[in-house]
Amino acid sequence: MTRPINSPDVRVDPVLTEATTRLFAEICDYATVQAAESDGWAPTVWDAAVEHGFTTASISESVGGGGGSLADACEILRIAGAHAAPIPLAETALLGGWLLVGAGLPLPIEPLTVPPRRPEDSLEIAYSEDGSALLSGQLHRVPWAGRAHQLVLFDASTRWVLAVPRASYETQWATNMAGEPRETVIFKNARINADALGKAKPDITTESLRERGALSRTMLMAGALEAMLDLTLEYTEGRKQFGRSVSRFQAVQQHLVWSAQDAAIVRMAAEVAARQATRGAARFEIAAARVLANECATTATRQCHQAHGAMGITQEHALHHLSRRLWSWRSEWASPTEWSEQLGAFAYDAGAEGLYPLITSGNC
Amino acid sequence: MRFEPTELTDTELDLQADVREFLVKALPRGSYQPALGMDAEADHAFSRALAARGWVGMALPKKYGGHDRSSVDRFIVAEELLRSGAPIGYHWVADRQSGPIINRFGTEAQKERFLPAICRGELGFSIGMSEPDSGSDLASLSMRAIKADGGWILNGTKTWTTRAHDNDWLICLCRTSPRDEGNPRDGMSQLLVDLESPGLQVNGIPILDGTTDFNEVVMNEVFVPDVLVLGEVGAGWIQNTSELGYERGGPDRWLSTFGVVEAFLASLSQDQLTDDIRHTLGRLVARFWGLRNLSLTVARMIDSGDAPSVESALVKEMATRFEQDTITALLELTDFEPSPESSDLFERLFVRATLTGPAFTIRGGTTEILRSVAAKGLRR
Repeated sequence: MTRPINSPDVRVDPVLTEATTRLFAEICDYATVQAAESDGWAPTVWDAAVEHGFTTASISESVGGGGGSLADACEILRIAGAHAAPIPLAETALLGGWLLVGAGLPLPIEPLTVPPRRPEDSLEIAYSEDGSALLSGQLHRVPWAGRAHQLVLFDASTRWVLAVPRASYETQWATNMAGEPRETVIFKNARINADALGKAKPDITTESLRERGALSRTMLMAGALEAMLDLTLEYTEGRKQFGRSVSRFQAVQQHLVWSAQDAAIVRMAAEVAARQATRGAARFEIAAARVLANECATTATRQCHQAHGAMGITQEHALHHLSRRLWSWRSEWASPTEWSEQLGAFAYDAGAEGLYPLITSGNC
Repeated sequence: MRFEPTELTDTELDLQADVREFLVKALPRGSYQPALGMDAEADHAFSRALAARGWVGMALPKKYGGHDRSSVDRFIVAEELLRSGAPIGYHWVADRQSGPIINRFGTEAQKERFLPAICRGELGFSIGMSEPDSGSDLASLSMRAIKADGGWILNGTKTWTTRAHDNDWLICLCRTSPRDEGNPRDGMSQLLVDLESPGLQVNGIPILDGTTDFNEVVMNEVFVPDVLVLGEVGAGWIQNTSELGYERGGPDRWLSTFGVVEAFLASLSQDQLTDDIRHTLGRLVARFWGLRNLSLTVARMIDSGDAPSVESALVKEMATRFEQDTITALLELTDFEPSPESSDLFERLFVRATLTGPAFTIRGGTTEILRSVAAKGLRR
């Protein structure tokens, strides 16, 4: 029998939410996020995240992880998104760690990265009889590839997971629109030893990895949308024009209400998707949450920027830490259209009579 | 503001299955033209059949013929009826708001008189709020009730009164004391007015889709006995505000165009399926799913004793805009010249949705009013 969405092992303990929020508020302030853009790294944030087990959340303690459920790890990501935390939290906990453990490989405490496998990638993998692998070619848009201790690769055709050490590749600096590292990884006949290869468990597939990637971005976006709303409420309350707070003007209130709706529906969607994924298959929920997050990122950034006036486009105000991330995250782990088309395909397959049951049950 | 995720329990899923099974039999697909949401035909027999299953007035007390069920149970029945385009026009308002408001504020005698009949699906109610000069600014209303021996004499006009020509009763918000300029909300009362009363005239107002479910109700010396003052004399504003709460945030605010989407899907063959269509379907389905989750949470909050008025306003404002967006999204996928006479169900429903669409963001509180309600809530 399925566990209810609000059962203790599926929902998130409010204590976790509260403690994580407090921690990120302390360690991840404006200056830290701003500095990470030029340095490409936020060591204090990373160290604190490691210390609290965030970087390996949802990975069993028996294999060296931080424990907790997938929903817990997603909640940590949501809060990290609200603070624009400039570290590869998703790549390490939700993606890389999951792949390594799912292939019986050891879990390091250092940062991991997982390539999103772009169409422009040119990776070639040749396996030798001694069990090692030879990598050549390039991977693109790899988060924090230069800082990662290992790049974790899933080769769907052979079902090998490869724990590729940092020393095996060169990187070419590139970023997303928020200044987060999204580097090009270059392999020049890099030999990966047999002991760094493990066979993936059946639940690891190209689709399930892509879904986890999308879920991670949806959680980050849910957090960022809510934080952006809070900034906007605060700014429009404090900013006075024509003798009163600009938040008293109906035209401005429209921006506030629409942004609150965007934040509310995405948080709801993200949380339902995370809890569903904690219980089992969640392909409908993840796709639907992703579509909503992408749409609302577009509308909410527009509204919140408009409500902030010129102040919002300065570097001095924190709004851009969130808005630039939202703009970037929309396109990571498959384009917005791929997700809407995926969901549309589920709807078509359900057929007219099955459409409403699909919406109420998510079974597809 | 926090919308805590929720879902249906196993018992609630059983109810959903029962309602689906009932509707498949009562309204076989293809045997009727589906309504678009709450804007549905009045089919007295259907309302009675539904009531016989215990699905009208379900959240009302057993003592008065109700079933002591939860808001979530009512949500389940409502969403299945709405998404099927069932002919719910006769009992809809009584079930959604008139019954609950009578139960909450009515006298014992009023509850005994009205609630059992509502729960049998035998009483239709209209809403008597708007007047020719009072819409969103309800505190400006002028319908006057003057005290008479054993009751009140009503004079004035209510307007936009849906189904007053077919319904039995009207809950009329009026002034039982002269208007106090400093406190315009004071001195109002809600009167239960028999729509067959002498001196009461119902005049149809044809609307742009050619239907005449809309009316003005003109009262000329209409006598309402004291026993039909709902709740307390002078408490009309507070009672009416809580009544509005029942109108918002439910499935009737995001399912008005679901039937059009379903008909579109039914009309689509595999070789017509393009990436554009998949993209649009995906976006629509994501919204339906997200809005349903929010709306279900609102119902759950009501069951927990919360008063989610800001949450409801937020959901309704967003959901009704989505209902309109749905039509535009489908327009982009069509190549017909929309004809009301078309033999194609999707095309006919598309026409109907287009012509009734402007009402979505007006009825039950305009988008502009809801925004200001929600904005006030956000400030707290």
